[in-house]
Amino acid sequence: MKKIYARTATLALATLLGLPALAIETGQAAPDFDLAGRLAAVKLSDYKGKTVYLDFWASWCGPCKQSFPWMNDMQTRYGAKGLRVVGINVDQKTDDAKAFLTDTPARFDVAFDQAGKTPRSYAIKGMPTSVLIGPDGKVLMVHSGFKDEHRADLERQIKQAMNLKD
Amino acid sequence: MNRTILSLLAITTLSWLGGCSNLGQVNAWDKGNLAKPMMTFEGDPLDQRFVQHIYASKENSSGGYGVGGGGCGCN
Amino acid sequence: MKKSNINGSQTATGVLLASLVLPGLAALAAITPLGAAAENAPEKTTIAIKYGHYNDSQPGWDRIKVDAAQVYVQAPIAGDWSIEASGVSDNVSGASPRWHTQNTALSGASHMSDERKAGDVKVTRYLARAAVSASVAISKEHDYTSNALGLDARWSTDDNNRTWTVGFGSASDTIDNTYSGGSTAINRHKSTNEFMGGVTQVLTPTDIVQFNLTRSLGSGYFNDPYKSYDQRPNQRDIWIALARWNHYLEKFDASLHSSYRNYSDTFGVQSHTLGLDWVQPAGRWTFTPGARYYSQSAANFYLDPILDAQGQYDQPAVVARANTNNLHGSNQSTDQRLAAFGAITLSMKVSYAFTPNTLADVKYESYRQTAALHLGGSGSPGLDPFNANFIQVGLTHRF
Repeated sequence: MKKIYARTATLALATLLGLPALAIETGQAAPDFDLAGRLAAVKLSDYKGKTVYLDFWASWCGPCKQSFPWMNDMQTRYGAKGLRVVGINVDQKTDDAKAFLTDTPARFDVAFDQAGKTPRSYAIKGMPTSVLIGPDGKVLMVHSGFKDEHRADLERQIKQAMNLKD
Repeated sequence: MNRTILSLLAITTLSWLGGCSNLGQVNAWDKGNLAKPMMTFEGDPLDQRFVQHIYASKENSSGGYGVGGGGCGCN
Repeated sequence: MKKSNINGSQTATGVLLASLVLPGLAALAAITPLGAAAENAPEKTTIAIKYGHYNDSQPGWDRIKVDAAQVYVQAPIAGDWSIEASGVSDNVSGASPRWHTQNTALSGASHMSDERKAGDVKVTRYLARAAVSASVAISKEHDYTSNALGLDARWSTDDNNRTWTVGFGSASDTIDNTYSGGSTAINRHKSTNEFMGGVTQVLTPTDIVQFNLTRSLGSGYFNDPYKSYDQRPNQRDIWIALARWNHYLEKFDASLHSSYRNYSDTFGVQSHTLGLDWVQPAGRWTFTPGARYYSQSAANFYLDPILDAQGQYDQPAVVARANTNNLHGSNQSTDQRLAAFGAITLSMKVSYAFTPNTLADVKYESYRQTAALHLGGSGSPGLDPFNANFIQVGLTHRF
């Protein structure tokens, strides 16, 4: 009951202040997206049945640089088991994103969202933000930022999502 | 007197932020330009030390610059 | 033995010290990791060195020269911590007046050289939405020592559009000029506590502003022991309000930095400082022209020079007045730094990035201080204009 009050109050306040709606929450259906990728279009619906680790990144975001090697690692290790890491770039100039990718390669799917439609639909609050989506399309986890010490916990949540033993 | 005016101005400006639509509510993904090094308040750490050093010895006001903050919205 | 005027009140380098390390907050507060926002330790270690040279000129006086070498290091530690440290070694040489600066005849000229060494360390702990720092700073020269500590914290809203900061600093100084033969300041003390609160607000994708309010409470020995009959209050409380704005211009891919600082203290000095810088990247180069305007009112115990019927400096009258004040125990000073004047600085900084992590920079500034530049036009009478040039050359490397 208290939780509902808190949520309603926050929503009311957020609306009053014109703030974007609360960031996407666990349990909600992950909003679809249809964006240009490096080779072909990248759509959330294409990943149905897979566990998706969705990461919002930009060339200007410091922690993003640190997260890429880890995301590459996750994709390599759990790809066969059904994990798909998808990086959604929000740079206004795609050239900046491409320069970043030259220095910091991504061995996972990358989509470009210059207009910022996807981060808006997910109402993300900070950069980077990652969203773990289960095979049923529901949000399992939302994580802000990236620090070395988060790696273990994030990996554990990924494995849990795929019903793998820790 | 001037300090009071300045503080009042600061408070008023911040209060207006709720009213003016979208002023002060910048989306995380729109902060690319704010993240650029040229948009920080301090920049070169040694530059200002030397300069403020000199001003403090030639004038009677020093300090007030405090800490920086804000910026790219990176978590 | 006279001390260089560059170092101003108290002692040669005392004031530099005092201002720089005072109280730890002032020196270290300006150091924020590049692109600091919500709270991550810096990704790389930064090392920077800088050499600065200053010289000034005032009619009738020999040049004051200062050479300063500085070094700075910032490194991340264990993921959620960082440490910053810096050191400076200054060499000052020149001469300074005992009375009003235009009174060369009485004050004579004697050269001296002094050295100051200062260092500071700051440790920061990064949390999810906040960061906390603690710092210590020490500065030493033969007649002035300062020890300072600082504590500050900052925290950001969820959307990182607003960051609040609070800080506290405390400095404890000892002034002792017995070595120089002057016996006016033997083992004197001064302590200062400073409180600061501020907010940084992102306004638009191209604008960020900051407001800071500082309150400083100082008590102890404020006299300049190298100036004759200099008697200042034993307390100095200050209010400082600062507003800054950085604006990004897409058209030029440049940013415009503006700032205004309002200062007032219980010595009666009120000042305005207006700063403007244009930061223009161009490939690996960055050009930053800048301008600064400063204006201050005189301290309420500052005494103008007295001129005789011929318009010449009337030394006997000045001394007589000083004696009278002295007898009454009144505060008084003929220190030009406490007069009403204005000043303009024009600067140009050029930096070159050999790689995204290695940068060299050169900055030249030209400073002019006169009574006529005082806001409103009427500064203290009888002030000689003062010009100074300073140049800095530095190298920064991140790895």
